[in-house]
Amino acid sequence: MQGLLTVYGENMSKFQQYILNKVFWFLFAFLIALIANFILPRLIPGNPVDAIIGQMSSGGGVSGEALEKVYAAYIAEFGLDKPLGEQFLTYIGRIAQGDLGVSFARSPARVQELIAEALPWTIALQLPAILIGWTLGNLLGVLAAYKKGWLDRALFPTFMFTSSMPYYCLSILLLYFLAVYLRIFPAGGGYSYAVSPGFNWTFITSALEHYFLPFVSLVIIFVGGQALGMRAMSIYELDADYVRFSRSLGVGDNRIIFYIFRNAMLPQVTGLALAIGSLVSGALITEIVFGYPGVGTLLFRSIRQSDYPVIQGITLFIMIAVLLANFFVDIAYGYIDPRIRARTAGER
Amino acid sequence: MIVKNVKAYYVTRSGPEVKAVDDVSFSIRDGEVFGIVGESGCGKSTLAAVMSLTAGRMLKIKSGEMTLDSHTVALSGPIKVPKDWHGKLVALLPQQSMNSLNPTARMRNFIVDVVRAHHPLMHPDEAVRQARERLEQLALPVRVLDSYPHQLSGGMRQRVVAVISTLLNPKLLIADEPTSALDVSSQRQLIQLIQQLLERGFITRTVYITHDLPMLRNIAHRIAVMYAGKVVEVGTTEEIIEQPTHPYTQALIASTLDLDPQLRGRQIEGISGAPPDLRYPPSGCRFHPRCSRALEICSREEPPILGEEGRLVACWWVQEQSGKGYREVEQ
Repeated sequence: MQGLLTVYGENMSKFQQYILNKVFWFLFAFLIALIANFILPRLIPGNPVDAIIGQMSSGGGVSGEALEKVYAAYIAEFGLDKPLGEQFLTYIGRIAQGDLGVSFARSPARVQELIAEALPWTIALQLPAILIGWTLGNLLGVLAAYKKGWLDRALFPTFMFTSSMPYYCLSILLLYFLAVYLRIFPAGGGYSYAVSPGFNWTFITSALEHYFLPFVSLVIIFVGGQALGMRAMSIYELDADYVRFSRSLGVGDNRIIFYIFRNAMLPQVTGLALAIGSLVSGALITEIVFGYPGVGTLLFRSIRQSDYPVIQGITLFIMIAVLLANFFVDIAYGYIDPRIRARTAGER
Repeated sequence: MIVKNVKAYYVTRSGPEVKAVDDVSFSIRDGEVFGIVGESGCGKSTLAAVMSLTAGRMLKIKSGEMTLDSHTVALSGPIKVPKDWHGKLVALLPQQSMNSLNPTARMRNFIVDVVRAHHPLMHPDEAVRQARERLEQLALPVRVLDSYPHQLSGGMRQRVVAVISTLLNPKLLIADEPTSALDVSSQRQLIQLIQQLLERGFITRTVYITHDLPMLRNIAHRIAVMYAGKVVEVGTTEEIIEQPTHPYTQALIASTLDLDPQLRGRQIEGISGAPPDLRYPPSGCRFHPRCSRALEICSREEPPILGEEGRLVACWWVQEQSGKGYREVEQ
């Protein structure tokens, strides 16, 4: 018993070392990403203040001298006259305080407010779509592999088709047929302009109506990819020796399907975690095509307006989410597959 | 236990079937280790799949019947094997233990699944208790119950697979080249384990399939020699090793390395030619193209089965040497 305990203790410390190692890499990747996040938007050609001034002057009625003063004021306000190093330090300092700065284009709105406004829409659209698509896809994949026959012959080409079709084609087709041609669903937006957001029945039904098309388009795409992966993995597992051996000992079909499902699921879990990680970015194309008021739309608009603080804020969010998802996949994988756990704990 | 007229052909997508096992019959006595030996592709593993009732979809069983302790089951056609046969009457000890266990299940969980498949009402703890008791009886470490397959050495894994296979005390254990991937000391331990299982009555009889004739000599009571899907000779281990009568058996023994100091200097003789394509087996005796003693009739007609119960040989040449007192038997 004593021996067993010490062995267990050693493994634990090795596992802790492993986690510590992962945390270190996580922080390192975070720092690199932070720097990239600061520099990349500044490489976009064009100065955002130029864009603002351009809009002003096109309206007319403002003299050149006044414009110059406004220009200087904006540059000073956003700190663009300072050297790059100082700008970076200010940026880091503000992030530490949870302040992502002021939007250039929608000043004086703060970036965190804009993101907080858009994020619930994105999460409400994507999280259910990913979870339902993942579950449905994996179940259909195992079923197609196990039942074979007509079910497989029907499902396999369908999934092949949906998963290889460019997403914008699918969403535009859905939009055209169901919203424009048949007029069953509204063509865009998160809710009808006739209602104002609030916790009341008219708003909820309106939001659900607008929700349906983008949701379905995401689920269709996700199911296809997941089912294809799961089907291939399950077919591989079905041929494994342990399936034959278990059958030869009379172990029931349900138990064997459970073995197959669990073993075939491992790579799929990675896919799920990464999908959830990149969820924050919003399904950019979905939100643009369906005019959905999520993070994707916000990002797209900010890029067009050279709105650095908003772009940086969103990419910061995406970055943290993807890094966290990767981190948790690394840890979770070890719990699902004992072989990986053994390797990470240094047993072999 | 009797196996009768087993014909099992592999279906190919185009062209003729592969006649992997063609009209094989034999009987096995209680408490016996019955060895089946032959080179690669002679149909031994196919025979194992047929007997263990695990034939795949591509394997078509044309005919055959297995009688096991007053139960008789037709192997051909849509097999209606009582579910209970798997593991309880017939159990398989497969070729590669590395892959024959679910990599993400602990031994105890797999054992619970196996036992509960036959005793659905048994409490999981009771199943584990029985397995622990069995491991103790066989002097194997009980800690394996909490292990995953990858945590066990190859030899230990194969011994554990043998214990799990025989947990339900099957009447027939089919060991299909169980030692082919093991080092010699693990081979020895596995053989001793199988002998122990027989002595303690956990299994009633064993079919031991291998290409390794010297190894079979250490464990088998009787041996059947297979060539190209047919049994060519059956006899006790001493008879097969010391007085082989079929030309193939003789050639097989002549081509085997032997560490016996007296025989060490002997020249090893190979068997010329290659095993036949079983889609187009040779006419008459399937060994005749490679046989140094082939007669003119061998290529025309199937050889007669000579000898008596328990000591059989299928050969024209042996019949010609009838001075040896062989007579044809009716099957």
